[in-house]
Amino acid sequence: MAETPKDSAPKDRREFLWKLGTGAGVVAIAAQTVASLRSLVPNVSYDAPTTVKVGLPDEFPDGLKFLPDERLFVFREGKTFHAISAVCTHLGCTVRAEALSQPEDTTIEGQRLRLTHRFSCPCHGSRYRGDGAAVSGPAPKALAWYHLSVSPDDGQLTVDLAREVGQDFRLTLA
Amino acid sequence: MATIKGLLKRSPDTPEAPGVHPQALWSFRPRSDREAGDAIVSNLLLHWFPSKVYKPSLDWSYSFWLGTASAALFLLLVVSGLPLLMLYVPSVERAYQSVKDIEYVVTFGWWIRAVHRISAHLMVVAVALHLVRVFLTGAYKNGVGQGQCREWNWVIGVVMLLLTLFLSFTGYLLPWDQLAFWAVTVGTNIASSIPWIGPTVRELLIGGRTIEQATLIRFYVLHCIMLPGALGVLFAYHMWRVRKDGGLAKADHEAVLANQRPVPPVASKTYTLLGVARGTAPTVKVTSVEAPDLTVSAVPDLTRRAAIVVLATFALVSILASAIPSPLEEPANALVTPNPAKAPWYFLWLQEIVTDTTIRIGSFTINGAFLGGVILPGLLITLLTVWPWLDRSSALSTGRWFPKDRRTQNAMFLALVLLVLVFTVIGMFLRGPYWNFYWPWEAWPEIPARI
Repeated sequence: MAETPKDSAPKDRREFLWKLGTGAGVVAIAAQTVASLRSLVPNVSYDAPTTVKVGLPDEFPDGLKFLPDERLFVFREGKTFHAISAVCTHLGCTVRAEALSQPEDTTIEGQRLRLTHRFSCPCHGSRYRGDGAAVSGPAPKALAWYHLSVSPDDGQLTVDLAREVGQDFRLTLA
Repeated sequence: MATIKGLLKRSPDTPEAPGVHPQALWSFRPRSDREAGDAIVSNLLLHWFPSKVYKPSLDWSYSFWLGTASAALFLLLVVSGLPLLMLYVPSVERAYQSVKDIEYVVTFGWWIRAVHRISAHLMVVAVALHLVRVFLTGAYKNGVGQGQCREWNWVIGVVMLLLTLFLSFTGYLLPWDQLAFWAVTVGTNIASSIPWIGPTVRELLIGGRTIEQATLIRFYVLHCIMLPGALGVLFAYHMWRVRKDGGLAKADHEAVLANQRPVPPVASKTYTLLGVARGTAPTVKVTSVEAPDLTVSAVPDLTRRAAIVVLATFALVSILASAIPSPLEEPANALVTPNPAKAPWYFLWLQEIVTDTTIRIGSFTINGAFLGGVILPGLLITLLTVWPWLDRSSALSTGRWFPKDRRTQNAMFLALVLLVLVFTVIGMFLRGPYWNFYWPWEAWPEIPARI
C-alpha cells in the first residue's frame, strides 16, 4: 500500500497485534472457564424414576401406609385410594404422621374425605392437616397430592411422583 | 579447623558493607537493631512483618490476637486434614465406614479427627470474635496515613468469615451420617427457595436432583481444595494489606497523640513501619510514631508474642481434643429425618429464623426458607460489607475501644450480635421434637424413633 504514510504503518500493526494477542488470550480463558463450568452441569440423570410401582392394592391396609423410599403416604378407604407426599414444603424434611384419636369427615373440593392423621415436620415444626393443608409453622403451602393408577400389566398400584393432582383426586377400584 | 559456627560467622576483620549480613542465619534473639532488622530481611516468613512495630499495637488487651489465633487454627486444620485426606473415602457407600474406622480403628485416628473438629469449631469462634473486635475498635477505618484502604481489608475479612462457615458446612457433610444428610437437604433447599434460579442453583450444588454420590464428591472437592485454597490466598492478601495500611489501626490513633509532642528526627532509616515506601510513608510523619521510645523491633517482640499465641492455641486445641469426643450420628438415611433435626450451633440462629419468617398476606405466602434463609442473611452480610463506607465517625476514633462518637453504631452492632446469640441459645436449648418450644426444665415427650 503505497498511500499509507510510512510512519503510521508499523504503529498500526503493533497495536493490531497487541489487540489480537490480548483478545485471543481473553477468549481462550473465557472458553476454558465456560467449558469447565459446563462440565459440572449433568447431562444424564441417574435419579430414581418418578413412576414407581408400590405393590398390589390388597397389600395396603385401610387407613395409612407410609412408603419411605418414595417419601409418600398412601391412604385407603375401602376401594378408594389417594396419595400425599411426605416431603415438607418448607425445606424438604420428611414429615411424620400422627394418628388422630377421632377420625373426622370433611368435604374438600366437593369430595368427601375422612381425615385419620395429621403430619408434623421434625426440622422446623410445620404442621399439616390430614388432607395435607399447612396449618401452622413455616410451611408455605400444602403437601403435594400425587397421581395414582393401576398398572395394566400386573395390577400393582403405581404412583407418578412427577404428576401432582388436585385434592379431589381419588383412585377407585372396581 | 573451621567449625560450622565459624563458617556461618564472618570474620571480624571483614569490612561492614551495605547489604552484607554479618551472619548467614538470622536470629530470634538479636543483640542489636541491625541483627533484628536482618532477621526480617533474610527470612521468607518473617519478611511480611515490618522491622519495627509500634509498641502499643502489640497490647494483649487491644486486639486479643484473635487474627493470629484464627491463622494458627487454620494451620492446624490444614495439618490435621492431611492424614484425614488419606484415610477418608469420598463415596456414599464407604464414607461413613471410613470415618468410623478413623474414629475407632486407626491408631490416633480419633485424636486427629478431634483436633480437626475442635479447631474448626474454635476457628468459627475466633474469626467471629476477630470481626467483632475490628468493628468495635473501628479498625476498618483509615487513620492519618496516606494510601490506606483498610475498608477493603474489612471486606476481605467478611469474605473470609463466610469461607470459614462454608468450610465448616462442607466439612460436617463428609461423614455422611444423619446430620450430614439432612443438613445438605435443608441447606440446598434454602438455595432452591430463591425465585427463578433457585432449583438450578440446587441442581448445580448437588449435581443432580437427589442427594447422591455427585453431591458428596462436590462438597468433598470444595472442602479439601477450593475453599481452603481461596482462604489461603485471601489470608496472604489480608496480611499484606495490614502491612500496607500501616499495621494495626491502633498505631494511627497513637500517632495522632504522639504527633503533638516534639520528637527529634531519627537519623537514618531504610525501613519505615511499612517497610520501604515510596514518597511519604502511609503512616504518619516518620519523626513521631517511629520515635525509638515508641517502637520495638518485630524480632523478637512481635515474634515472641505471636509464638505464645500460636502455642497457646495449640495447647487449648490439644486439651479440648482429648477431653471432648467427636460425635458420629447414625449412617445417612434418606428415609428418616431425625427428630429434632438440629444444625451445628453456628447455624442454629439461621435454623431459628427460617422457622419464624414465613409470611402470609392474604393468599400470598413468602417461604421462610427464602426470607430467613436468603434475604435476611444476605442483608446482614451486605450491611456488614458496606459499613465502612457508611461509618461517618472521625479518624480519631480509629483503633480505640468504645470511642464516644461511635457509641450508637457500636451499640447497634452489639444488639445485632446479641440477637444472633439469643436465636442460637433458643435453637440450642429451647427447641425439642418437631422444633417445638420447651423450657430447659420441661421434659421432651416420648416420640417413637421410626414410624
